[in-house]
Amino acid sequence: MNLRHLKKIRIVVSLAVLLLLLFVFLGVESKVLQPVSDFFLRLQLIPSFIRFMALFFAVSGLGFLLILLLTLLIGRVYCSSICPLGTLQDMFIAAGRWFKKKKHRKFAYSANQKNIFRYSVLGATILFWFFGSLFLVNLLDPYSNFGKISVSFFQPAYIFINNKLAFFLERFHIYSIAPLEVKTLPLNVLLVSAGIIATIGIMSVWRGRLFCNTLCPAGSILSLVAHKSIYKITFDDAACTLCGKCERVCKAECLNSRTKVIDHQRCISCFNCFTACSNNGLFYSRLKPLAAEAKPKAPPANTGKRQFLLTLAAGTLSVPLLKKTSLAKVLSEPGLVPTGTASPITPPGSISYEHFTNNCIACYLCVGACPKNVIVPSFFDYGLNGFMQPKLDYHKSFCNFDCVKCTEVCPTGAITKQTPEQKQTIQIGVARFMQESCIVTIDRTDCGACSEHCPTKAVNMVDWEGLRLPEVTPDLCVGCGACEYACPTEPYKAIYVESNLVHLDARPIEESEGPQQQILDDFPF
Amino acid sequence: MDRRDFITKGFIYSALAGLYSATLGRIPLLAAQRPATQATGNYDLVAVRGGEPVAMYRRAMQEMGGMQRFVRRGQRVVVKPNIGWDVPPERAANTNPDLIGAIVKDCLDAGASRVFVFDNTCDDWQRSYRNSGIEEAVRRAGGQMVPGNLERYYRDVEIPGARRLKTAKVHEAILDNDVFINVPVLKHHASTSVTIAMKNLMGIVWDRRYWHRNDLHQCIADFCLFRKPDLNIVDAYLVMTRNGPRGTSTADVALMKSLLISTDIVAVDAASTLIFGSQPQDIGHVKIGAEMRIGQINLDRLNIKRVAI
Repeated sequence: MNLRHLKKIRIVVSLAVLLLLLFVFLGVESKVLQPVSDFFLRLQLIPSFIRFMALFFAVSGLGFLLILLLTLLIGRVYCSSICPLGTLQDMFIAAGRWFKKKKHRKFAYSANQKNIFRYSVLGATILFWFFGSLFLVNLLDPYSNFGKISVSFFQPAYIFINNKLAFFLERFHIYSIAPLEVKTLPLNVLLVSAGIIATIGIMSVWRGRLFCNTLCPAGSILSLVAHKSIYKITFDDAACTLCGKCERVCKAECLNSRTKVIDHQRCISCFNCFTACSNNGLFYSRLKPLAAEAKPKAPPANTGKRQFLLTLAAGTLSVPLLKKTSLAKVLSEPGLVPTGTASPITPPGSISYEHFTNNCIACYLCVGACPKNVIVPSFFDYGLNGFMQPKLDYHKSFCNFDCVKCTEVCPTGAITKQTPEQKQTIQIGVARFMQESCIVTIDRTDCGACSEHCPTKAVNMVDWEGLRLPEVTPDLCVGCGACEYACPTEPYKAIYVESNLVHLDARPIEESEGPQQQILDDFPF
Repeated sequence: MDRRDFITKGFIYSALAGLYSATLGRIPLLAAQRPATQATGNYDLVAVRGGEPVAMYRRAMQEMGGMQRFVRRGQRVVVKPNIGWDVPPERAANTNPDLIGAIVKDCLDAGASRVFVFDNTCDDWQRSYRNSGIEEAVRRAGGQMVPGNLERYYRDVEIPGARRLKTAKVHEAILDNDVFINVPVLKHHASTSVTIAMKNLMGIVWDRRYWHRNDLHQCIADFCLFRKPDLNIVDAYLVMTRNGPRGTSTADVALMKSLLISTDIVAVDAASTLIFGSQPQDIGHVKIGAEMRIGQINLDRLNIKRVAI
């Protein structure tokens, strides 16, 4: 096969994967595309590895192994085709070309590998993870960042367009497009997402795939593998005319057309060079490039080492500081502090506060998928350790009893898969009733909004001074927050859910006896 | 025709009519084919028991004088069932889907140009529409489900004469259409003991919390001053007798096989309350509704048609 066509194939595949993943993040439901999207979701390197560990070596978390093997065979095609943030960067690069003067459009070989820097970042990321903090993963992982950007900006845009269309059609009494509730993320989260998109955008317009070869932990891991890959892009000395076209299209700035050397650690296998070359001067080869040629002059070793050690030390020292800061918060005493849970409520299936914070990479797929919009991004609620990880917020919504959407989409196993029956007995928190601020006690009128919404009747109305007052049966409560959401008191709710740091089993609802026969013999009037 | 002739013929005809109603008239299929002019339609309330939901509805509607009495050709109808919860029909937390389908079909047959169906659900609206079975039933009958999930569908209205609920935001489907048919399901209710026709109207407003905060029973009664449904059809086929309004399992449900129709929202609530096993005077909003002369709580004063099938 002519290697020139590889670029076209890469572009098609990368755009297809980007769109498939985007559909998942936007919440577009399609029975046909779902399995394909899931497949590419499972291939995302870091989420897949975390899933593998979180679910105790689960087969569904083996996608990362597939990627490592692929990289070992033909280099970092993951970065050019499967990584959604990679494709997003390519779009930035393409968009940047429109605004650039012609002479600035081309890339040039960069001798500076920045290996010390990037592997220090990778080392620190791994070290953090090892000590139970995904802080750096949440900030740097390309998939996670793509997710944050999608849910922060692409999904609202999608909902906006969807609703405009829905409202337009409604004028003609066509209701085939369902209007969606707008998801408004907190401002601080939006600012971080904007920061991420700005960083990615500036870096890619300026220097191509610079992010992939400096900050990206997935890129760094694959670099180490690609360095030893079996097939590598190599120059054909006989065919090469030293025209330099290949170097000018190399987004990774890893190809030196003068010395005919390619830095395979940085090469992301985008195949632009094959297409640019008019003489077939490049090809895939099993030959190992000479070690001496592959390594350009290393920067002075001692400063790099120092830098590495410093990063390592800083990382190590800060880990204990980051751990579980919010756990130290004193639980609120009823009556003293108004109301509200002391620590954030984690989604059903997330097993415990610890399991969730140790495995969630804040990709916001659950945030985007939740039909009730009850899962929202936090900021520092989990401490710096769980920076930006999502939580359940019962102020604007509650968790629908029969819905298990978040447990189905989570790529890392931070939220484990649940059937509706399983989910209905998971107690993620317990309702607490504050009689002193309840409508019924203060205004002496019936209310019962909490009990009305309760799916298990853990909140039940009992007779009280001629009225009906809520009463909580804690072991029936699943912590869905329907009571807290429905409670009309202001500014603090008279009933709220206190989170369970370790999720418990709720008492299952008594088995059905079917409807009792009470057919009327006669009308009572 | 002389007097004797008249009497003789009268006897024969009435005997034939009696024979007909005693034999063929009992078969619902034939009964339904009787021209509407023969049905009286002068009842304040029709109560039917002992049949399947659709059969009971057909019979009750026939006694009420047929849907043509309420829906004229070209009018637009809005049907408001209870679709509050994301549970299957056998849990009886939502109105029976077959009943809703039959009503929609009936309205269209009576000449309605369009029939809209909606509820401001408590659980996720799309799941509730789908899993209640109502979405499918309405689609098949030729009606149109309308969303109620966004505030933009609700417009501010004033309620003259109200004691507590002086304003509310009401769904445009109620405001912009000609005929309003209220189809609640009879259920136990944690806050208000029972929920029937009056309470079902909480599903056409946006801010329910205000009602809960400001004397729930009074607000329910107040809202009836804004717009009384043209027809109230109470589904009491499967009745949730405890753990309402959502219920926890089918063990909460009793098979009562009843259906009531009335234009008087208080009367239909009073009669349904009795079927449920409670006294209308004990239900705050029904009692207030009667006091505010929204409807008749004293069933003895009504012309009631009771049918067993």
